[in-house]
Amino acid sequence: MNASKLFVAGMALSMSATAFAAGAHDGGHGHGATSGEPGKASEASRTITVEMYDNYYEPEEISVKPGETVRFVVENKGNLVHEFSVGTPDMHEAHQEEMMMMVEHGVIQGGKLNHDMMNMDMGNGHSMKHDDPNSVLLEPGQSKEVVWKFSDKGNIEFACNVPGHYQAGMYGEVNFE
Amino acid sequence: MKPHFLTGLLSLLMPAMVLAGEYDLTVDRVKIDTGDFVKEGIGYNGASPGPVMRFKEGENVRINVTNNLDEMTSIHWHGLILPFNQDGVPGISFPGIKPGETFTYEFPIQQAGTYWFHSHSGFQEPDGAYGAIVIEPEGREPFRYDREYVVQLTDKHPHSGDRIMRNLKMMPDYYNREQQTVGEFFSDASKNGLMNTIRDRMAWGDMRMMKADVEDLQGFTGLINGKGPEQNWTGLFEPGERIRLRFINSSAMTYFDIRIPGLDMTVVQADGNNVQPVNVDEFRIGVAETYDVIVHPKDEQAYTIFAESMGRSGYARATLAPEEGMEAAVPQLREAARLTMADMGGMPGMDHGSMAGMDHGNMDMDSSEDMSGMDHSSMEGTDQSNMGGMDHSNMEAMDHSGMSGMDHGSMTMGKEDKSDPFYAKGSGLMPKAANGGKFLSYADLKAQDPLYEDREPTREIELRLTGNMERYTWSINGVKYEDADPIRLKYGERVRFKFVNETMMTHPMHLHGMWSILDVGAGQWNPIKHTINVNPGTTVYMETEVDEPGQWAFHCHLSYHAAAGMFRKVIIEGGPDSTQAKTDVIAEDGGEA
Repeated sequence: MNASKLFVAGMALSMSATAFAAGAHDGGHGHGATSGEPGKASEASRTITVEMYDNYYEPEEISVKPGETVRFVVENKGNLVHEFSVGTPDMHEAHQEEMMMMVEHGVIQGGKLNHDMMNMDMGNGHSMKHDDPNSVLLEPGQSKEVVWKFSDKGNIEFACNVPGHYQAGMYGEVNFE
Repeated sequence: MKPHFLTGLLSLLMPAMVLAGEYDLTVDRVKIDTGDFVKEGIGYNGASPGPVMRFKEGENVRINVTNNLDEMTSIHWHGLILPFNQDGVPGISFPGIKPGETFTYEFPIQQAGTYWFHSHSGFQEPDGAYGAIVIEPEGREPFRYDREYVVQLTDKHPHSGDRIMRNLKMMPDYYNREQQTVGEFFSDASKNGLMNTIRDRMAWGDMRMMKADVEDLQGFTGLINGKGPEQNWTGLFEPGERIRLRFINSSAMTYFDIRIPGLDMTVVQADGNNVQPVNVDEFRIGVAETYDVIVHPKDEQAYTIFAESMGRSGYARATLAPEEGMEAAVPQLREAARLTMADMGGMPGMDHGSMAGMDHGNMDMDSSEDMSGMDHSSMEGTDQSNMGGMDHSNMEAMDHSGMSGMDHGSMTMGKEDKSDPFYAKGSGLMPKAANGGKFLSYADLKAQDPLYEDREPTREIELRLTGNMERYTWSINGVKYEDADPIRLKYGERVRFKFVNETMMTHPMHLHGMWSILDVGAGQWNPIKHTINVNPGTTVYMETEVDEPGQWAFHCHLSYHAAAGMFRKVIIEGGPDSTQAKTDVIAEDGGEA
């Protein structure tokens, strides 16, 4: 009992420290002015299905109009946990630190997500829920939606920030028409 | 009309042709220029290293190998899954290739990734007879990159392989320049006390080993793609591109620690098999291993690929640059590694008396440096001998009251522990990234797409890696190759091999013909390799699905260890057809290793 309490306390400590560090980059991911904002499904002009494999997307490139709202249906067809996240390369880089922490704490374990761990209160209002509107984190076989309203032109990618996946090439370009 | 007709004809012929590639290799005497020295050597198609052989998964290859030497030769396709009589080991797969003769290898390509090929006759491989293999997969690669380069390393020595072996047999420390000196003895004595220093030296003497035996072959020049550090092989890129680097260690004896200052590396493949990507700052490549990494240089500048030998006696260097002629700073070699008592943990018959109370097992502390601020003299009652660079595991028995000056915060524990479980606790070989960042461990390697279902092994075979440094004999279970019975496996079984390294040297163990499933504790995600590094004082497990009939070589890939006897023949009993009978015709001549 004692030991496990200690463990949790230790984690909360390291968690808040890292969350701080990530926050310092650009105010956390998902709120960057350049990538857009959460959209309303009713305003979506079309649906794009994005399939996630180990470790790449299909398609690897999409075209949107500035200001367009797109409904993404994201399906994980691989054997590993994958993410679909819309943002700039800098936002992805900042988010990768958080994802690294999720792996170190056993939240992401290869092909599984530890949901109990994700909901655990880490102190200071932090958790590892991964509930930002610009992204979804999926176990193999899962499917979820992201509705996103793209803003103006910019260097936007959709990316998987599970450690190593982005660097290995699990990203796709968003081209503005 | 005509093009249509042609296309139609082609598509008709296609199924019959499949993809049959025909390739020619000549084995030649060549000149090798390292920048430090020029020597005679052996190469392929007139050069060492030989060409990069590019195959496609699903293709049937025919490779005509013409021996232009005045001695027997052979080519082994390292890591390729193929019929045993195409594996190229004289005396085990075939008789070898006579001078003037052309031998045609023919086999299907059933895999993708980065591999290499080399002679399996005498010391032709250390003399230069090696090249790279790149196999393109049938489907897409599960990663993205804009360009790729083979980065093939070797440890080129001015002496011929035959001469090196003779010298090692005569005087095992012939090439060991890092020996501890008389001066070091006296400085240790003043630091640790005369009796402790003598005791330490005597313990090492018992093992016929010296602390500096990290590398038993020094005095080499590290080459990358055949170029010495001054010749500086350079791979070009456009800033913003992703580059796949296919690292292959074709050294006779040398492990390299590889980093590219200023660039993160993402490891995506080990020994030709895709692994779940790992971001690292540095990695160690054992002899015969391959690692593929992806780097993403964004700036218009040059980057140095720096490969220090594990014992820090030499290095290889190359450059990634936007333009030919650009170069970046070349780091200094770090201080030479020294083996510690932990590295002899596996030695039987060793006198552990002086180490009473020490538990090598379960302290998670990072060793040495973090505790350098400690005043050891104030810790009464502990035996301070042999503590240099060691695991401080005997601290449990110590009186902590005298340690008030210690900074406990710097002792990293638990998850942030940077010690690698594939090294003995406190090992002098424990790798550390030069920038304090992430150093790849075997424990990080997980299969991207497991080839085999996980299942219980049918039996376990223990292989003790043994040797006597004083006579330069290397063996398995104390028996060298010429005196040993073959290892007999049954087709269809899954064997668990237990490697117990009882020597103070690392041994990269290479089983031909079948995959080595390295046990990293990840169950079904355990990676498959062709070469398994076993560090001093450690036990490593691998499993093999015995799915290829015939007979195969199984050996330490350090050239002079294999030749000295750390080598076995493996015979597979049974199989889908009567391949067994055909093995009898293979002559036992033509040399081994």
